[in-house]
Amino acid sequence: MTALLEVNHVSKQFGSDMKALSDVNFSVQEGEFVSIIGPSGAGKSTLLRCINRMIGASSGEIIFDNMNVMNLKKKDLKLIRTKIGMIFQHYNLVNRLSVIENTLHGNLGKKSTLAGVLGLYSQEEKEQAVNILHVLGLEEHIYKRADQLSGGQKQRVGIARALIQNPRMLLCDEPIASLDPNSAKIIMDHLRNISRTMGITVLINLHQVDVALKYSDKIIGINHGQVVYNGSPKNITKEDIQRIYGSEAEDLIFDVGGIHAS
Amino acid sequence: MEANEQLTTAKQLLDPHLPKKIRIKTLTKSTVISRSTLIILALLSVYAFFSFDYKQLDIGEVVLSTFANLKAMFLEPHLKHFSFTHALYQVFVTLGLAFLTTLFGAVIAVFLGLLAAENLTNKRVSSVVKGSVAFIRAVPTVLWVLIFAVAAGLGSVAAVIGMTFHSVSYLVKAYSESFEELDKGVIEALQASGANWWQIIFQAVIPSSLTYMISWTFLRFEINFAVAIAMGAAAGAGGIGFDMFMASSFYLDIREIGAITYFILAIAILLELVAIRLKKKLKVNG
Ligand SMILES: Nc1ncnc2c1ncn2[C@@H]1O[C@H](COP(=O)(O)OP(=O)(O)O)[C@@H](O)[C@H]1O
Ligand SMILES: [Mg+2]
Repeated sequence: MTALLEVNHVSKQFGSDMKALSDVNFSVQEGEFVSIIGPSGAGKSTLLRCINRMIGASSGEIIFDNMNVMNLKKKDLKLIRTKIGMIFQHYNLVNRLSVIENTLHGNLGKKSTLAGVLGLYSQEEKEQAVNILHVLGLEEHIYKRADQLSGGQKQRVGIARALIQNPRMLLCDEPIASLDPNSAKIIMDHLRNISRTMGITVLINLHQVDVALKYSDKIIGINHGQVVYNGSPKNITKEDIQRIYGSEAEDLIFDVGGIHAS
Repeated sequence: MEANEQLTTAKQLLDPHLPKKIRIKTLTKSTVISRSTLIILALLSVYAFFSFDYKQLDIGEVVLSTFANLKAMFLEPHLKHFSFTHALYQVFVTLGLAFLTTLFGAVIAVFLGLLAAENLTNKRVSSVVKGSVAFIRAVPTVLWVLIFAVAAGLGSVAAVIGMTFHSVSYLVKAYSESFEELDKGVIEALQASGANWWQIIFQAVIPSSLTYMISWTFLRFEINFAVAIAMGAAAGAGGIGFDMFMASSFYLDIREIGAITYFILAIAILLELVAIRLKKKLKVNG
């Protein structure tokens, strides 16, 4: 297996003194399911956005699919972004448009400006959208407006919009943080399913340690912009969790044994 | 422990030593200033009425003859110098002027509105556009028409340009504010999938703001209708306003003014009804 994504010595500084990331190193294999955990403000969202350059890193290099993301021209950056799907905590759908229109938005990056502006999609694209919505259990809601859906359904539309890109990798920024436990489980199961059956690499920011341990092949723990854990969920210890969450760890009602058991 | 806590809060509720009068508004600096401003304004207006120079006017007589004029105007309206079809045609000319200027204004305002929205451009461009538009808006429409009349001469051309000018400034503010309402996460999501600026504008920004844009545009159309009447009279732009001007200052026929006023009122009510239906429809779909 080769690494699909390599993050080497990446730092990010906001303004003159706010260091959000410092010397971050890790790599992700093709098809892996990797969770990034850490307290809020640790730099998880910043790290995720550096990978598709929604935020430009200050130094270091990020190699995705053998291309250095940091010094891509505009056109190549666009090409890379079409290969990376992104999913958000607040779904970020266009509320007034239908489920299928929102799904097709994932294809905008591959279209000419004019076709995108006018919303002209080929029969093939529409069929693919319907298929994906079917897989995600949204076939009854295809023509509903996005704001008529529940949170869990909205997030599935978010996943559909990312999947229609035919991405190599999904970046998920706390996709279940606003959902109830049932919907959260459905979303996580879909993501694992996508990773396993389609071979899509998943890099996901999570708040819930137990969920991260249950679903991931690999855990990256971040605290204060630094990677403090990088390894398998099986070997993680209470001390590791304490190192990741710092003093907050006391508040996490946490029992490593119990989690490994479930 | 918990029960104890509940007991003490209950006791506090029954405590008879609470202050007798509980104010819900406190005297802050801003309430003091706003109240004193109101009082000063009230005193000034009373003083103004006493200090008017009434000369030989007998108030009672003036009021009575005004009522007589109003009665002739509104209870005995007639059309003498124009036919009904002519008046109807002129109303459509005025509506046309309002429609044209609103349409031109709206098209230009969409593009300037995009530039003025901080989330779609940057702070610099946004404040330049917003600043210039605020300046244009501060000058009344009539004045703009008169300014353009210097170059184009008094008439419909100056009216169209001047009214369009002011409509643009009004709609840019309305549109850009509704563009700025769009959650920046939505823009981020489309950018992350590789979409470019124009695609994001037409696939996310405009669909999200469309209902606001339509209601603001219609409101501006109603304003432009009123302005178009005034322009007909003041700037010789034609239409029903010009007929009204002729009836009042040339033929001196108040009954005809009454008839024309009824015409305009009917159209205004019609526009209002359309606006209400439009809003209802937008609420259902929007
Ligand atoms: N645009 C920005 N400007 C300045 N500081 C920022 C910006 N975005 C994030 N930060 C700071 O960077 C740190 C990491 O933020 P973030 O990546 O959102 O953390 P997380 O997602 O782990 O909660 C925080 O301290 C945050 O205040
Ligand atoms: Mg975050």
